[in-house]
Amino acid sequence: MSIDYENNKPVIEMKDIIKEFSGVRALSGITFDLYKGEIHCLVGENGAGKSTLMKVLSGAYKPDGGSIVVGEKNYKTLDPNLSQELGINIVYQENDLVPTMNVVENIFVGSEKTKKFGFIDSRAMFEETEAEMKDLGIDIDLNKTIENLSVAEQQFVKILKAISTHPKILIMDEPTSMFNVEDAGKVLTLAQTIAARGISIIYISHFLNEVVQIADRITVIRDGAVVSTYSNEKKDIPLDTITRDMVGRPVDMFYTKEEHEIGEVMFEVKGLRLAKDSPEINFNVRKGEILGFSGMVGSGRTEIIRAVSGADRRYSGDIYLNGKKLDIHNPADGIDAGIAHITEDRQKLGLMLGGSVLENTTIVGLRNKIKGFFINVKKEPPLIEDIIKDLNVKTPSVMQEVKYLSGGNQQKVVLGKWLFADQEVYIFDEPTRGIDVNAKVEFYKQMSNLTKQGKCIIMISSDMPELISMSDRVLVVRNGEITGELQKEQITEEEIIKRALGVNKS
Amino acid sequence: MSEERALKKKSGLNFKDQRILLAFVIIGIVIVVSIINPKFIELKNIIQIFQQISVMGILTMAMALLLISGGIDLSIGNLMVLSAICMSTLIAGGVALPLAILVGIIVALACGALNGFIIAKSKCVPLIISLGTSQIFYGISLTISGGRIMSFNGTLDAIGSTKIADVFPVMLFFLIAMIFVAYVLLNRTKYGRRLVAIGGNEKNAYLSGINVDMHKIGIYIISGLFCGVAAIVFSARLDSVSASAGSGYELNALTAAIIGGITFEGGRGTISGAFLGCLFMGVVTNAMNILRVESYTQTIVTGIIIVIAVVLSNINNLRKN
Repeated sequence: MSIDYENNKPVIEMKDIIKEFSGVRALSGITFDLYKGEIHCLVGENGAGKSTLMKVLSGAYKPDGGSIVVGEKNYKTLDPNLSQELGINIVYQENDLVPTMNVVENIFVGSEKTKKFGFIDSRAMFEETEAEMKDLGIDIDLNKTIENLSVAEQQFVKILKAISTHPKILIMDEPTSMFNVEDAGKVLTLAQTIAARGISIIYISHFLNEVVQIADRITVIRDGAVVSTYSNEKKDIPLDTITRDMVGRPVDMFYTKEEHEIGEVMFEVKGLRLAKDSPEINFNVRKGEILGFSGMVGSGRTEIIRAVSGADRRYSGDIYLNGKKLDIHNPADGIDAGIAHITEDRQKLGLMLGGSVLENTTIVGLRNKIKGFFINVKKEPPLIEDIIKDLNVKTPSVMQEVKYLSGGNQQKVVLGKWLFADQEVYIFDEPTRGIDVNAKVEFYKQMSNLTKQGKCIIMISSDMPELISMSDRVLVVRNGEITGELQKEQITEEEIIKRALGVNKS
Repeated sequence: MSEERALKKKSGLNFKDQRILLAFVIIGIVIVVSIINPKFIELKNIIQIFQQISVMGILTMAMALLLISGGIDLSIGNLMVLSAICMSTLIAGGVALPLAILVGIIVALACGALNGFIIAKSKCVPLIISLGTSQIFYGISLTISGGRIMSFNGTLDAIGSTKIADVFPVMLFFLIAMIFVAYVLLNRTKYGRRLVAIGGNEKNAYLSGINVDMHKIGIYIISGLFCGVAAIVFSARLDSVSASAGSGYELNALTAAIIGGITFEGGRGTISGAFLGCLFMGVVTNAMNILRVESYTQTIVTGIIIVIAVVLSNINNLRKN
C-alpha cells in the first residue's frame, strides 16, 4: 500500500537523538520518522546503533539529546510505561515467552481476561486469539505449550502477543533470523497484513532481500548516524546500494575467494546412520577443499555433522582421515582424531561467557598443546597472542571476559580456540550467523588460510552468498538425506534451493 | 574468573571490588570492636579467631571449588564427622595413630567419590543428592558411635595444642596448606581451569573435549579430601566428636563462599574471596563473644548479618540488570 507522505503527519518522529555510553557516542543525532500504516525498514551492520535506537523508543534507554514527537506532544525521554501507553510495542529477537504455558496463556499473560470475582475467562481469551489468527492467516495449535512449538511458530506467538495490545507502532527486530525461506515468507506477509490495518512497523533485518520486498522506506544507519533513507515504493532498491551504504565502502556481496589447488580425498564418512532407520550418509572432503552443506533449517545438516565430530552418538558408520579409520565416540575422541567443530550458537555451545578470552581460547589446547598438569600463567598469554592478533579480535586484553565482546569478536574467539588446537579437519556450523560484514570477511580469510595449509573444511551455512562464494563443492541435505551434490561451476542459488526444497524430485 | 585476572583487570564490575569491600568491612568491625574492648585486637585473640575458623575454613575451600565447578555438596559436615568418628573408633581400638588418620581420610575420599559418582552419572541436582547422602553419612556415624560422644583421649594433642614459638598453633598449618592447595588447583592447573569451564558452560566444556563426568567425580573426591583434613583439625581441637557435631558446617561453608563472591551459577569465584568470607564470619562470631552478646541473641545477629551480606554481595548483579 502506498503512504501519503505529503498530507499526513508522521505518527512518531525521532529528532536528533543522541545517546552516549560512558563518553562513547552510540547514536550521534539520528532522525527517524514513521507514518501510519508504513513499513519502515532499518538496516545497518551489527553495532551500527539499531538496537540502541529501538531501546530509546521502548523507554529502556534515556537519550542524552534530541526529542521524540508523538502526535502533538514532544518528549525528551520515554520510559517503558509511557512507551506502552503511546502504543509502542516490540517483538524482541530473544524469546520472552513462558515455555511451559500454552499459546493463549502466553498472549494474555499479565492482562488476562476475567469473569466475575476475578476468575480467568479462558474461553473468551481462546476465542479472541482464534479469531485474530484467522484474520492474520496464522495456523497454530493454541493448546500446545510454547516449548512444543517450532521456532517459527513461537515467533508468530510473539507477534500475536504484541498485536493483542493494539499497538500503534510495532517494532520487529530480526523476526526471521532463525527461519527457513518458507517461514520467513510467512512473517513478511504477516508484517504486510498488520501494516494494512494501519499499524506502523519498524522492521529491522539483516536479510536485505526481505527488506526490499516489504519496505515502504528503507533507512540505513552506520556508526550511530543515518546514512541514507530510500523510498521503496516500487520495491526495487538495489541490494548493492544498501550494502554500500551499510559498510561505507562498496562490498561485493559475493566474497572472492583465493583459489588454490585441491588435493586427494582426505576425510571420508561412509555408511553413516544417525538412527536405525535413518538414511545412509556418504561423503568425502579433499585436502584443501571447502565442502558446503546446504539445506533448510531443520533439514538435518547439523545432526549429521554432530554425529561425525562426536558431539552426538551415531547408530553406525565409519569415519576416515587420510585413509585411517577413526575411533570417535565423543567430542574428546573427535579432537584427538584432528577434528575441530565450530558449533552453531556460540553463546550456548561455543563459549563460557564469564570466562576470559584467554581461558576460552586455550580450553581445547589444554588437551593437546599445553603439556603437563600445571598451567604456567606467565607463559600462557603469549601462546595465543598471534592468533588473537591474526584474527583481529577487538578486546582490551586477553583477560577480558568474552561476554563483553561483540558477537563478531566472540565468534572469532570460538575460531581462535580451534586454531590454537591446530586440527586437520575444520567443521563450521553457521560460522558467520549474526556477525557483521567485516568480521565475516575475516572469517573467510581464515578459512582460505586453513585450506592453503592443506586442511579441509566442512561448512554448514544458510547464508547463500557465503555458501556460493566459499564452497568448492556443495552437498544439499533434505530430511536427513543428501539429495544433491553440486560441483563448483554448478553452484547457484536456484540449483541449491531446488534440491533443498525437493522440487526436482517430485 | 581467575585470581590473576581479577587483579589485572582495571575496569568493570568484578570480584576485586567485592573482596576489597569485604576486607574493609572486616577492618571496620575490628576497629569498632577494638575501641569498645581492646582485648579484641590482642595477638592472642587474633590467633584465637583463626583457630576458630580453621575447620570451617577448610570446608569453605571445598565448597568454593564445588560451587565454581557448578556443583554443591551439603553432606560435607556429616562427611567430616563420619571421617572423624572412624579415626576415633580406630584409635580407641588400639590402631596406630597414623594408620587411623589414613583410614579416616580414605573413608572421606570414598564418601566424596560416592557423591561425585551419583551426581555425575545420574545428572540429578547435586543439592538433593548430597542432602540424601548426608543422611546416610550421619546414620553411619550414629551406628558406629552408638550415639555416644567419642573421645580421642589427647592422642591428637600434637596437632591440637602444640604451638610454635609459643604463639603459632600447629593446626593453622592445616588451614594454610589447604588454602594453598585450593588456590593452586584452581588457578595453576589444567584440572582447575577445566572445572571453571564446566561451571561456566557445561555443554561447551563437553564439546571442547573435557571429560565432564570424570572431572565432576574428581572434584567431589577432592572435596572429600578437604573434609578428611578438616576432620583431623576438628578432632584435634575438641579432642572428641559426636555424630551430630557436623550439622551446620555445610551451610556455614556455603554462606562464607557466597559472601566471598562465589555464586550458585558456577564458573566464577576466587579462593581469596572464599577465605575472606570465612574470616568475616569468624570475626563477627568472635566479636560477639568479646562483647558478651548473649548466645541466643548471637544466633539472631548472625542470621541477620548473613542475610545482609548476601544481599549486598548480590548488589552488583542487581545493578547490572
